[in-house]
Amino acid sequence: MWASDRAGRRDARVRIGLRGRFIAFVSAIVIAFGVVLTALAVRVQNDRLRHELDERGKLLIAVVANHVTDSLALLDVRQLRQMINETLEQENVLDAVAFDEDGRILTDGTVENPSRHRLIGEAARQHVAVSDALLVEFSGDVMTVTMPVRLGGRPLGGVSLRYSRAGLAEDQAALARKTALVGIVFGVLGVLAAALLTEAVTRPLKEVIEATRAISEGKQAAHLQVRTADEVGELAAAFNEMTRRLRETTVSRDYVDRVLETMGECLVVTRRNGTIALANNAVCGLAGTSEEELIGRHCGELFRAPKGFASLLHALNPEGSVHGLETEILTSTGEEFPVMVSIAAMDESPGRSGRYVIVAADISERLRTERQKEEFITMIHHEVRTPLTAVRGALGLLDGGVAGDLGERGRELVANALRNSKRMERLVNDVLVSRKLDFGHMTFHLQEMELMPLVDQAIEATSSYADRHEVRFDLHETAPGARIEVDPDRFIQVLTNVLSNAVRFSSAGDVVKVSVNRHNGCLRVAVADCGPGIPEKFRDQVFEPFARAEEADWRNKSGTGLGMSISKAIIEELGGAITFDTEVGGGTTFHVDIPESDRLRESHVD
Amino acid sequence: MTRPGRFAAVLFSSSMIVVIACGGRTNERAEPGGLAPLEATGVITFGSVSLNPAREHEVFRPFVDHVASRLGEVGIGRGRVVVVDSISKMVEELKKGRIDVYIDSPFPVGFVWKRTDIDLLLRRWKRGSETYRSVVFVRADSGVKSVADLAGKMIAFGEPFSTSGFLMPKAALASTGLRLDNYEDAAASIPPDRAGYVFSNDAENTLFWVLKDKVDAGAVNEDYYQGLAGSRISELQIILTTGAVPRNLVCVRRNLDPRITDSLRALLLGMDDDEEGREVLMGFEETARFDPCPGGPERQLAGIVDLIQYVEEDVGQ
Repeated sequence: MWASDRAGRRDARVRIGLRGRFIAFVSAIVIAFGVVLTALAVRVQNDRLRHELDERGKLLIAVVANHVTDSLALLDVRQLRQMINETLEQENVLDAVAFDEDGRILTDGTVENPSRHRLIGEAARQHVAVSDALLVEFSGDVMTVTMPVRLGGRPLGGVSLRYSRAGLAEDQAALARKTALVGIVFGVLGVLAAALLTEAVTRPLKEVIEATRAISEGKQAAHLQVRTADEVGELAAAFNEMTRRLRETTVSRDYVDRVLETMGECLVVTRRNGTIALANNAVCGLAGTSEEELIGRHCGELFRAPKGFASLLHALNPEGSVHGLETEILTSTGEEFPVMVSIAAMDESPGRSGRYVIVAADISERLRTERQKEEFITMIHHEVRTPLTAVRGALGLLDGGVAGDLGERGRELVANALRNSKRMERLVNDVLVSRKLDFGHMTFHLQEMELMPLVDQAIEATSSYADRHEVRFDLHETAPGARIEVDPDRFIQVLTNVLSNAVRFSSAGDVVKVSVNRHNGCLRVAVADCGPGIPEKFRDQVFEPFARAEEADWRNKSGTGLGMSISKAIIEELGGAITFDTEVGGGTTFHVDIPESDRLRESHVD
Repeated sequence: MTRPGRFAAVLFSSSMIVVIACGGRTNERAEPGGLAPLEATGVITFGSVSLNPAREHEVFRPFVDHVASRLGEVGIGRGRVVVVDSISKMVEELKKGRIDVYIDSPFPVGFVWKRTDIDLLLRRWKRGSETYRSVVFVRADSGVKSVADLAGKMIAFGEPFSTSGFLMPKAALASTGLRLDNYEDAAASIPPDRAGYVFSNDAENTLFWVLKDKVDAGAVNEDYYQGLAGSRISELQIILTTGAVPRNLVCVRRNLDPRITDSLRALLLGMDDDEEGREVLMGFEETARFDPCPGGPERQLAGIVDLIQYVEEDVGQ
């Protein structure tokens, strides 16, 4: 049913979600922090190591210088060689020499002594000539320290050694390993922290996403738990509020689905091109096909064009809707099912290219029933009314003495039979009239004429009936010259029905008041009795066919039960209306409103 | 022979003799007068003079083991090293027959040869050279042009018992008529008709003392001279070069079994013929080979013995 939506969701794209970006961001920050921290630590450590090495070298040269003073003074090169040789055994010492006051190397600590007689560096020589302070020179990873040696202010020479900072490099390598390790640890911690933090941050978002997705799929969204008081918590609370209001104003997709699947009426939703986008079970069952087969087909293939229209959608009114349109649904086997269609636009300005909801009710049963009724009426007309007319005629002849004197008892029996046959004839006639009205088969011969004569005729026609009930009519208000366009016989039928009803529910001696006046552009004939009033429970059924109140006195006073429904149908056919005001114990007033003839009304207004 | 210094010598008792057996027995102290006949014991004893017996033993042991293991045909089963701390002791030990073979520089050998019955067996090419000589040098600008000019001057020698650093150059100088007196202080005042000398205890010291004008002249092994002078050789001048003497000599006590003497001579002469022998020789102070003394033993020792008279007191200490 939601194929297009599902297809849309399947169009999943590879993307880095908020979670991934958050993890990457936090990890990068933590790792960067760790690396920077470690780099600073390494730098500090390096500086410390460098300082320590430098100090160690300076201390060593000072010690050596102190020990070689006597040897330099005595020019004991052998002793110097031993001392320098021992110096060479010290850690990080690359080479060492003892030199004389001219800066010439006396010994490099070896027996071969290849450095013998060479001059030490120019800077060192110049320094030794004027200073007794330590000279420190750096070249790459090598520190050269030169210590002048003096005795009693007399320069004896000095010692110089080249000190490797390779140890520093080794320490740096160890530090690099530590840095890498710290980096890895920070990296792992960073990712872990990022994952935890991301989980904490994105879990509510994920829940919101899942809930939103559920809503988009028409499911019931779960209530989100508001865990925190921050923005995320506010989001969850806002979402809950949104879903609550949504539940109040909308129904879930599941709910709609269930409704659509269980509803008896056929429902079809069309797209803008008229093809079917949705079809419920009822229409599938009626058309004898599946939803998949219906979707995509044009609705014209499912619904026959109503009579007088090129297609179903051509029957739409300018507002894009139509109601109670009869047509047929075409089944997959070629059968046709009569349906009553109502169409409503789903868009504001649909035209014929809008989306529509088509609801179709299967009326085949109703039509069959109507056919049966028709057949019944026909049967009544031919099998009951015709013989009844013959019976009534025969009884009339008997009552008229065609068959001689029947005797008192015989006349009573004939009179009784004649009265009941007339009653039966009225009943049959009412039924036939009612049926004609239902099917629109009643023929009205409209004439423009004055109202008041018609009212007088109706009162006159009912006066004998009123006399029998000792009830009097009082026409106390009139509308002289008022004209209406009616079928006079049918209009008088309505008035006599209303008047006879008033008589029937009046007591002997009562006066039924009749008035004619103008009301809301219509002429109103009001007939008021002093009867018991219409029971409240029965008021909605007054104009229903064969309607009878439960109360015993009402049942006794009811006629065929068709009079008021026929009257209402006739008046409405004439463009008027019939209503009543009633009060239990206070009598009832029926109002028969009929449009005043326009031409005359206009002249009256003038 | 090497001797670090007199101070070190004091550390050793004059009667101290260290006997180190080789071939499985070490640190075996020899019993005075108790040496069994060679044939019966099957032991050959090598003697050396040094103030560092342990180091000397390490130097001698592989060589002695090698030699002893190849003298089985003359009843020798193992070798032994006896280290004494003075040449006088060596003379005494040889006289008592407790040392069979004595290897040393020419002047000690000449000194011993004059005092006991030993026979010069072979010449040893120690440090790869068969002979060596000494030079006496001065600064070129010193004004000293000859040995005679050294009168009233101070001379630096190396170690007191070094042949090339002291005995040989001193004997050579003395043989010219120059009278030499030993001083402790290089700055000591010297009579104008005599020359003074001090021990620098190191050839390199000697060189620098001359260069730095601490002394007027110095004497070193000729082989070392050029290396030591290096780029400053032009600042020096040699005023005396001694005659060449054998680098090292091998002696045997005269009453040693001739068969053993012959076998030992033959063994040593052919030791450099095979790889194993050459390897042992190289470990024995870079000895290149042994060869007979050119012109015979007597001729080799004659010139040395003539010079020894000038340093007899020094050698005998």
